[in-house]
Amino acid sequence: MSSAPATSDLVTLTIDGVPLQVRKGTLLVEAAKLVKQEIPVYCYHTKLGPAGLCRVCLVEVEGMPKLQIGCNTPVAEGMVVRTRGESVEKGRAMVLELLLVNHPLDCPICDKGGECDLQDYAMAYGRGSSDLADPKSSKPKAVDLGPTIVLDEERCVVCQRCVRFDDLIAGERQLVLKDRGHRDMIATATGDPYRHNFTGNVTELCPVGALTSKTYRFKSRPWDLHRTETSCTQCSVGCRMNVDVRNGTVLRTMSVEGDDAVSDWWLCDRGRYNVGYIDAPERIKQPLLRRDGTFMQIGWEDAFAIWAKAIRSALAARGPESIAALGGGRLTNEEAYLLARSMRALGVKNIDWRTGRQRQATPGSSGGTLLDLERAGAIVTIGESPAQLAPVMDLRVRKAVRHGARFIRVASHEAAPTMPHLDVADVAAAAAAIPANVTRVALLWDGVDSALARAAFAALDREGRTLLTYISGEQGNARGAEAMGMLPFSGPGYHIADTGRDFEGICADALAGKLDVLAIFGANPALNAADGARVRDALQAVGFLVVTELFMTETAKLASLVLPAAGAFEKSGSVVNLAGDVLPTAAALAPPDGVLSDFEIVTGLARALEIELPDTEEIERATIAAAAALPVGIAFGDDRFAGTAKESELGDGLLLRVTHHAFAGGGTIANDERIAALRPLPEAAFARADAERLGIRTGDYVDLVGSGGTLHDLLAEVRDSLAPGEVVAIAGLSDAAANALAERSRVRVEKIRHADALVEA
Amino acid sequence: MRKHLFNVGAILQGFGITFKYMFVKRPTIEYPSIKKQHAPRFHGLHELRRYADGKERCIGCELCSSACPANAITVIGAENAPDARVSPGERHAASYEIDELRCIFCGLCEEACPTDAIVLTPRFEMADYRRGAFVYSKDRLLVPSDAGVGTPPDERPNGIPADLGRVAEVKSTTNVDRGYSATHRGEVLKTERKGLAG
Repeated sequence: MSSAPATSDLVTLTIDGVPLQVRKGTLLVEAAKLVKQEIPVYCYHTKLGPAGLCRVCLVEVEGMPKLQIGCNTPVAEGMVVRTRGESVEKGRAMVLELLLVNHPLDCPICDKGGECDLQDYAMAYGRGSSDLADPKSSKPKAVDLGPTIVLDEERCVVCQRCVRFDDLIAGERQLVLKDRGHRDMIATATGDPYRHNFTGNVTELCPVGALTSKTYRFKSRPWDLHRTETSCTQCSVGCRMNVDVRNGTVLRTMSVEGDDAVSDWWLCDRGRYNVGYIDAPERIKQPLLRRDGTFMQIGWEDAFAIWAKAIRSALAARGPESIAALGGGRLTNEEAYLLARSMRALGVKNIDWRTGRQRQATPGSSGGTLLDLERAGAIVTIGESPAQLAPVMDLRVRKAVRHGARFIRVASHEAAPTMPHLDVADVAAAAAAIPANVTRVALLWDGVDSALARAAFAALDREGRTLLTYISGEQGNARGAEAMGMLPFSGPGYHIADTGRDFEGICADALAGKLDVLAIFGANPALNAADGARVRDALQAVGFLVVTELFMTETAKLASLVLPAAGAFEKSGSVVNLAGDVLPTAAALAPPDGVLSDFEIVTGLARALEIELPDTEEIERATIAAAAALPVGIAFGDDRFAGTAKESELGDGLLLRVTHHAFAGGGTIANDERIAALRPLPEAAFARADAERLGIRTGDYVDLVGSGGTLHDLLAEVRDSLAPGEVVAIAGLSDAAANALAERSRVRVEKIRHADALVEA
Repeated sequence: MRKHLFNVGAILQGFGITFKYMFVKRPTIEYPSIKKQHAPRFHGLHELRRYADGKERCIGCELCSSACPANAITVIGAENAPDARVSPGERHAASYEIDELRCIFCGLCEEACPTDAIVLTPRFEMADYRRGAFVYSKDRLLVPSDAGVGTPPDERPNGIPADLGRVAEVKSTTNVDRGYSATHRGEVLKTERKGLAG
């Protein structure tokens, strides 16, 4: 990590006859790893620290009368430790016998069987028989803990890793140990379902089969799974992830142990559980051409020929200005590079990845790493916080706060986080709230309002202080798409190129009837753009609209030609995460027959248009160079990225603001039936003053009516953190697309139905 | 040539041997109307067994498929509905397939099974014209619902049977009732033979 420790910080000891020097304060269980000796543990976990509960890590320390627990004994000068030997083995065998007193031996049924620590250690250190002949206690099995987790109380060895994760890492404090003695059981403190963005991690932490994921229960055994290490592309954090596949189905995903730089060994539930879309029956498996208002299936060669013909006639009639391409935030670097390059080869400059609200993905030269973030003394978040946009980054924020950082939210409309925080009205107040002795400040932004970002940067940037910036974006590879040149004003590696039209300009062109061919690669602006009604009109006005997608999304339904594309687990490449780390993605399974990756789609089009494309080696070289290029000369909240900011509408009614939700937004979540229970209900949050004025209580159903349309049956929530006069709706829900009402417009509340009245009816 | 022509003695000797065998018991069996009794532990076609109460013995643990040296067995597990259990415990085999063309009839699946669910029967006739027909799934492997043997493991207060480990223990220490003993198998064969011959 940092510089080598001074010799005074080092302690010399002997483990199993091997002398070694380690840092003062190191625990024996970690020191033993250095001499390749394994000390068995259940309650201890590198990221959770010691608890001293399970007692299986017994070691012999010379001079101490009894066996010591290796997980909670720090090293000392001259210590002589034995992790093997008669007394250690006898002690461990006794502990294991006691752990197995009430543990059922249903290993052939248990999902953990085959990768279970209790199984492994019982084989390695256990006696193989027990002196206790009484029947085992009977406890509830298959206890429904929440939408994601099932608990088997019999199998629990009460190591409390899950409870400590919930307390120390997630900071949610929902799980507790209920009752005492042999009646111990894991439960939520309130009795409510166990639900937050990181619940799945407890199934991985559980050393036995007590906590299991609903999506994986009894589906497979560990030795059936074919494992591929890749990067999650659901959000811009890009956590390293193991994908376990059996029979062409992604059965589960697991975090990667040792991935300190990106995921910190954790995954959020969106990344972990949103994998069922891969084999959803709704997937498009053949190119679809619109003919007389309906879609007909055609072959790939015909699709490329029709597309190329449309491009050729557009070029001949009105030149490259009448052609545009959108997307890249959901593609790999290689695909985005190839797309930008083939478009520029045609002379097309109207290319942009920004099809949602986010305007900028690279924070410029002030960008920090995720490890830097957890060492910040103060964290200021403007726009939307990473809580729903980039959940695993939110865990880093929680870690920093746990280490004493001050967390400041500027003009936030989100629900209060379960950690100490400070809500302030503007950036000046945020700057004033940072203690004077803090030398490292992190500024988090959602990439939407460039003027706000510039103001915040100016307010926080002080002499003698390191200001690190992060942009948690809405698309997984947004930063990669930018680096690869999917911007109207910049080529690969942020080389400034000729300026074309950005997404807003492309929409304006389309509405003016000046756009003949538009290709959208893996993006859904009809659902995710700020002003949905206008974007839908624009897309309908395009002469020939091509969309590459996995599902018939809102955007694909408007297309002239829909091309089925491979999903994230079906292609290899690389992505750039929000901190600028270049991360490889690897194909875990093959795409369905008839489905091509976006790479192959761009290559196919280039062949039909007879454009020279570089070979794979050159693409690799170019993408590596572009991804590594420092975004020199790009400011945090750069003017070139900024769009025309929409002023809030004046007038009566409440001001509509939209918010992201980790389980909303896009076809991957809408078409994953395995985790249907995690999708949020369409809701509307009101400030307390407004709610009282309108007579709304939490749990009521309301309709929101704006100039663009109506959102029906929203579940009302009264939120204290909201400023009066505002209403917040969740973005990216297919059944209640909040962008149907233009963002920052005025809306009326209608048809308030009280929850109790609904129950009576 | 002449010498051979007049060696009548040798010719008669040859006919004599043939004539003698007309009175010796024939070793050939008129298969398929008559079938030979196999050794008691003959490894033939597989069978998935049930308990006497009709529940499937197979719990979908896949130990057979992991023990199989020929990768002939594919099991896909699923969760039992608590009110309508297919097998004791929480897991059952939603799909159980054996590719009998790939199988080498070593019987390791039978050895690995913790609940004595999969056994090799003496049946060996599975000729067919299509390769696909040799992939036996549960509809052909599973015995009829009234042909179960043995009592299922006791259920505890939580509705879940006691440890499956107990079953395995019994198997390893005592001579577990396998439903049909060697003699039982012989009886079955004799009946079949009579039926066919008559």
